[in-house]
Amino acid sequence: MKKSEFSIGTRSTGTARGRAFPGALTAGLLAMVALTSGCVRHDAEFSHREEYNELIPEGQEYVHKVLGTYFGKPTRIVAWEKLPLKLHAAVGTVGEGATSLSVPVNFTQENLPLRPELEAAWLSGNLFQKNDTPALIEAIGENGSVMFPDPGLAQLPAAGDRVAIGPGEVLKFGRVLYAEHCLHCHGVSGDSHGPTAPYLNPKPRDFRRGIFKFTTTVAASRASRTDLSRTIDEGIPGTYMPSFKLLTPDENMALVEYVLWLAMRGEVEYQLTGQLKNDYSNEAFADRVKGGESAAEIRKELTDAVNGGEMADTFNGIVDTAVERWVAAQEEASLVTPTVKHLEATAESIARGRALYLSKDLNCVACHGEAGLGDGPQTYSITKNSAGADNPTPGLYDDWGNLVVPRNLTTGIYRGGRRPIDLFSRLHGGIKGTPMPAFGGKKSDEELWDLVNYIMSVPYEKRTPGDGSKEAKPAEAPPQVAAGG
Amino acid sequence: MKKFWVFFFMLVPVLALWSCIVAPGYGWWFPGSDGPSKGVAASPLGRRIDDLFYMILVITTITFIGVQLALGYVLWTGIRRDNREGDVEKAWFSHGSHELEVIWSIVPAAVLLFIALYQMDVWASYRVKTHFPEEVQNKPMAEVTARQFEWRIRYPGLDENGNVLPLMPDPQPTDLYAVNDLHLPSGRPVMINLKTQDVQHSFFLPELRVKQDAVPGLVIPVWFEADKSGEYTLLCAELCGWGHYKMKARFVARPEEEFIPYLRELTKQQSYDGVKEAAAQ
Repeated sequence: MKKSEFSIGTRSTGTARGRAFPGALTAGLLAMVALTSGCVRHDAEFSHREEYNELIPEGQEYVHKVLGTYFGKPTRIVAWEKLPLKLHAAVGTVGEGATSLSVPVNFTQENLPLRPELEAAWLSGNLFQKNDTPALIEAIGENGSVMFPDPGLAQLPAAGDRVAIGPGEVLKFGRVLYAEHCLHCHGVSGDSHGPTAPYLNPKPRDFRRGIFKFTTTVAASRASRTDLSRTIDEGIPGTYMPSFKLLTPDENMALVEYVLWLAMRGEVEYQLTGQLKNDYSNEAFADRVKGGESAAEIRKELTDAVNGGEMADTFNGIVDTAVERWVAAQEEASLVTPTVKHLEATAESIARGRALYLSKDLNCVACHGEAGLGDGPQTYSITKNSAGADNPTPGLYDDWGNLVVPRNLTTGIYRGGRRPIDLFSRLHGGIKGTPMPAFGGKKSDEELWDLVNYIMSVPYEKRTPGDGSKEAKPAEAPPQVAAGG
Repeated sequence: MKKFWVFFFMLVPVLALWSCIVAPGYGWWFPGSDGPSKGVAASPLGRRIDDLFYMILVITTITFIGVQLALGYVLWTGIRRDNREGDVEKAWFSHGSHELEVIWSIVPAAVLLFIALYQMDVWASYRVKTHFPEEVQNKPMAEVTARQFEWRIRYPGLDENGNVLPLMPDPQPTDLYAVNDLHLPSGRPVMINLKTQDVQHSFFLPELRVKQDAVPGLVIPVWFEADKSGEYTLLCAELCGWGHYKMKARFVARPEEEFIPYLRELTKQQSYDGVKEAAAQ
């Protein structure tokens, strides 16, 4: 496979023309600040996973090199064409009748507004990967033709060549926004170890497993773009994730793409270190040496695998799987789609929901407690993690090793949103990465709607002193509301 | 050289006046709408608050220039005395003058008392519940809850006839929710109930000159009136933690007749059940 990629540095291309500051005094002050604050270029690096540090040096070297090649560094991102992301400002194919000053393009993707001084990069054809001076566009003419300033292009693209305008521009934009809004909790590499993260409870999401909790996709599926975009828009009530509703749609889109890019990078690293750990972690290495193999041989085995291309096959397999899963998650089929409309929240429906809630079959009570206070017996039992080992302290843990508390249903705070579809998705697809199981397929959609109605009624249950010692009574049906529209 | 210092000190009030006069042109003035009414508050009460500010600005300007002129006079006469032939009179020490002491105690006290009494009306209509405009008294239209680091908004929902229900102190099943996006009618006074979930925040609408601390455990009524329909900035004006700067939200003022349709739209969004229209019978 021919790979085309673009390395995106931090060199600013656009010029911000702000309002000129009045007064020489201000200018002088600004100059002083600029001089004293220092403009040292720090060469930032994406941090590696903990498992990375357990590998033998040759393994570490390989992982570091391959991630650097295909994903780059925070200051030099690689826009890798293989990833199913909106990487560039626009992508299209060259039409008929290109001249050196104007190239007609049929755009297939238009992600960001096109402005002059963006680069045009050819993704295929005879101009592909020609390292000439970048062709900066001058304007976008009518009928979608791309204009170049004099003297124009040295070589003409053929009709049908693919072209990217503003290569990597979306990731570049996303990176700036991420640094401004997200980085201090979620960390440079999306590892949830930003500087403010230690003060937060619950912990910020670690993107590097590719798992996101609050999705409207089915249990086996990754998150969809819409889910991430909604989370950025609405925030996660009851946590430190605030709402970023005032971001423009373009900014929201760029952030989603950048977070997905971090998630893919993290996922690839997770799988790759996982594969290498079996044979080439320090521990495995020591065991193998004890077993009679020579240290040099093991090292040679790994370097041979790297040089001979077996590792490349492994890496490509990992990337392909990750890409497939993300692509599949964006499709209509992965969405949780109830087959029946939301049932009216009648007293009967709530009672049926309550019965389901208490049933041995679903066993909601084990975690959420009989009255829905989030204090079920599981919260003070020693539970097992996904690998089957006992967790260190009593209570429930998620896949990231954080102690999680089952939702207290009486608060009326719904982290993944309060629309019926949000609660339905939570029941249908479970909460990924947590002990909350998925009931889609296990229970019919009607039964899930009954459960949703019951859960939504819990905050409005009338409680009087002493109720705790009696059987919980469901709330009354809420009043009818005029349908919107 | 002595005269230079006189001119130097006389230049200070001139510079101060000049900078005040040119500041609005550079946008260094009150927030407000653009165009000819730049720096003018977008609400009637806001303009009254601005008038109070301008009055104080005028008083302090007059005082400041008066003091500077007095300083100039003292320096100038000192120089004149210095330069007179044979005049050996230098600066002299005088013991306190009772009249002077009384005058410069009474005059500022009178000015301060005047300001204190003069602003009471505005203060009352802004803060005292019984002086709120008739149409907002005890009729909150939304509950705004500040939390680290966003504004959560709870509207009362609509009843079966499509009329707005009263806002209850506790959440109701019919309530509608929004975040960082407050929509209320323009052109008439509206009231919100202000709460906070965690620490102190402050509800700040700079263009409307509304600022009210949200205090844990209290429900504080705040009323305001946006003259014109438009989008206004809503900020937190109390350092509430590391994410304080993130608490920027939007106050959207729209004509009265668009408020119920907005609530309907919210109802529709909030009752979305994911069933595709085609599949639903």
